[in-house]
Amino acid sequence: MISVKNLYKEFDGRTVLNNISIDYKEGECSLIIGASGSGKTVLLKNLVGLHTPDSGEIWYDNKQFTTLKEKQKKELRKEMGMLFQGSALFDFATVEENIMFPMDFFTEWSYEEKLERANFCLKRVNLENANKKYPNELSGGMQKRVGIARAIALNPKYLFCDEPNSGLDPTTSIVIDHLIQEITQEYNITTIINTHDMNSVMEIGDKIGFIYKGEKLWEGSNREILHSDCKELNDFVFASNMAKQLKALMK
Amino acid sequence: MRKTLEMTGEYCMLMLKVFQKPEKWRIFFRQCVVEAQKLTLDSVPLISVISIFIGAVAVIQTVNNLESPFIPKMYVGYMAREILVLEFCSTMVALILAGKIGSNIASEIGSMRITEQIDAMDIMGVNSANYLILPKIASSVVLSPFVMLSSFVIGLLGGAAIIAATGAVTMAQYVEGLQFAFKMHYVWYSIAKMAIFTFIITSLASYFGYYAKGGSLGVGRSSTKAIVAISILILVFDLVLTKLLL
Repeated sequence: MISVKNLYKEFDGRTVLNNISIDYKEGECSLIIGASGSGKTVLLKNLVGLHTPDSGEIWYDNKQFTTLKEKQKKELRKEMGMLFQGSALFDFATVEENIMFPMDFFTEWSYEEKLERANFCLKRVNLENANKKYPNELSGGMQKRVGIARAIALNPKYLFCDEPNSGLDPTTSIVIDHLIQEITQEYNITTIINTHDMNSVMEIGDKIGFIYKGEKLWEGSNREILHSDCKELNDFVFASNMAKQLKALMK
Repeated sequence: MRKTLEMTGEYCMLMLKVFQKPEKWRIFFRQCVVEAQKLTLDSVPLISVISIFIGAVAVIQTVNNLESPFIPKMYVGYMAREILVLEFCSTMVALILAGKIGSNIASEIGSMRITEQIDAMDIMGVNSANYLILPKIASSVVLSPFVMLSSFVIGLLGGAAIIAATGAVTMAQYVEGLQFAFKMHYVWYSIAKMAIFTFIITSLASYFGYYAKGGSLGVGRSSTKAIVAISILILVFDLVLTKLLL
């Protein structure tokens, strides 16, 4: 479980996150949604430690992340996996080397054991026979799958996904969403997904936090989002005329 | 001025992250071999070609300037040797390497930064600075005497080749000049300069790449900034080291 308490972050005097408090449970896909520039990526980067909050607390189970020493943070990071917006696969490494990268550093496994684990992860994301390919030889969807395989290589307790569907067609997006959801439930991972893709929200949003101008304005499930009275949320979710008409029909 | 101080502080902080015990020595040595091939050994052909021509040009220019019959012809070899060992094989080669290796490192690390590959390493708990930068610095500095000495020898061979081709002086006179008043201290001085210049090239290029921002344009900018900063620092350190060591 991850708990965020009163998180505050500013850049050059401009408040980007203001008093954010939210809990993320294991076995659930928790989504952070919001318009571009609302602060959701900054929130995610604070959670994984790429940014340091100006005030507030981030609890990983019983560990307060921001007060941990660097060595303890490093230990905690071994329990994290992250899927980046652009996949962030290492250009210099093949698919299997990408997946074996964290194993090289943090396990004493033999090459055969690492290869077996890499093959297992690739099979789990339905991407076999791509072991020897380099990232630039893969499509966007395949790169995301490799990114997920790398993220789960060391059985993480926490999985972070930054806009996993960006640049993907709707069909592939749904496949990636379902894959993340299956892995989350199968391994009881605490998964936090940063997205503005409404298909993802409706498909896998066990819990959704809506960020608006750096503040958490709304929190609920994908069922509740359709009936929310929050104006800013409705403006975001039902942005198109067609969506607005659908909302009116539902009422 | 304030920006320069900030950058100096940032550079020092980065070096603190770089000079830590590697997570696994096996991975570090493997990376050192990869970087040695990529940065140093792949530069040898370029350095060889330039050294041959500079050696040859040094000989021709010295021959043209030693017209007096009272000056022995063996001074052609002596002058070529001194030009090569004192300045060309360390400072000029370092400036050439600043363009080749410096831009290579800054753009490689910069691209990794903007495509979030460095963030990915950090989130895994890998010390990205140590993993990416230390092998580059270590392998380049360790092999820098080899680069300097190979440039020196090839430059002298370039001089010999032009003598053989033009007959400006005899080979015996050239070889006598090469051996005349030879000071081993100059070779050590040049090796020391080369090692320091190599450290400047690899560490500064890594610094500019590591903190690159602003997409592909930012990578280009950081690469350019790296080469400018490295070139200036090489010249400044050349002056300081010459004053200190000679």
